[in-house]
Amino acid sequence: MKLKAKMKKDIAKVKVMFKSPMAGPEEAEKKKIKPEFIAHIIGKVGGKTVYEVSTSGFISKNPLFKFQFKGAKKGDMLEMTVTDNNGKVTSESKKIK
Amino acid sequence: MERRNFLGFGAAAVAASMVPASLVAENFRETKPKMWQEATSAGAIKDMYGTTDGIEGKIKLKAPKLAENGGSIPINIKTSVDLESVAIFQDANPRSAVAAFTIPEGAIINYDLRMKMRKTSDVTVIGKGRDGKMYKTVQKVEVSIGGCGG
Repeated sequence: MKLKAKMKKDIAKVKVMFKSPMAGPEEAEKKKIKPEFIAHIIGKVGGKTVYEVSTSGFISKNPLFKFQFKGAKKGDMLEMTVTDNNGKVTSESKKIK
Repeated sequence: MERRNFLGFGAAAVAASMVPASLVAENFRETKPKMWQEATSAGAIKDMYGTTDGIEGKIKLKAPKLAENGGSIPINIKTSVDLESVAIFQDANPRSAVAAFTIPEGAIINYDLRMKMRKTSDVTVIGKGRDGKMYKTVQKVEVSIGGCGG
């Protein structure tokens, strides 16, 4: 996971890229791999949810997401947690610049 | 008597403040498992919201009219309407649902992502406002080379 968060005035701008083949059942069969895609992404600052999305296998491979939110300040920790379809959980924290 | 009332009021206030917190953390994978299996946009939207109607033109959907690479189509959703959730659907792939956002209160709705499409079809963005009204936008995206491992 690559995570970048930057404050612009009072708005935090976040870019995040995940590593995943994002293969649904049909695509996995073609490529002869196990179906593997990100099913749920959640972003938190200080325990408060700032971003939440449930996704399917039709997001691009190694997907890039961009979003913005208010209410954070420089130095806060942004924690992104990703769950894939097999139940594997990955999380990463980064300081907001 | 005052004390009793006061305590009752306190408990009610705590309960009221707890409700939005639990609403925010809605995982559509768990709460609406059926919508992810639907083949058509109309079916999936019905599963999620119960209706396919919506006020048009309030949600701005930025997508290319002609996508050369169906494997990576940039999509941007932007709106100033206070939505509680918004979702993206298309009719090109075996299943319709692409992504469903749960929007925390006071968030800025400006989301970027990239999606896959096998062929030309309509992309529907539909959201439910905190006022209970439905909003939607439909745009046709033409795909010259299909994505999705094709």
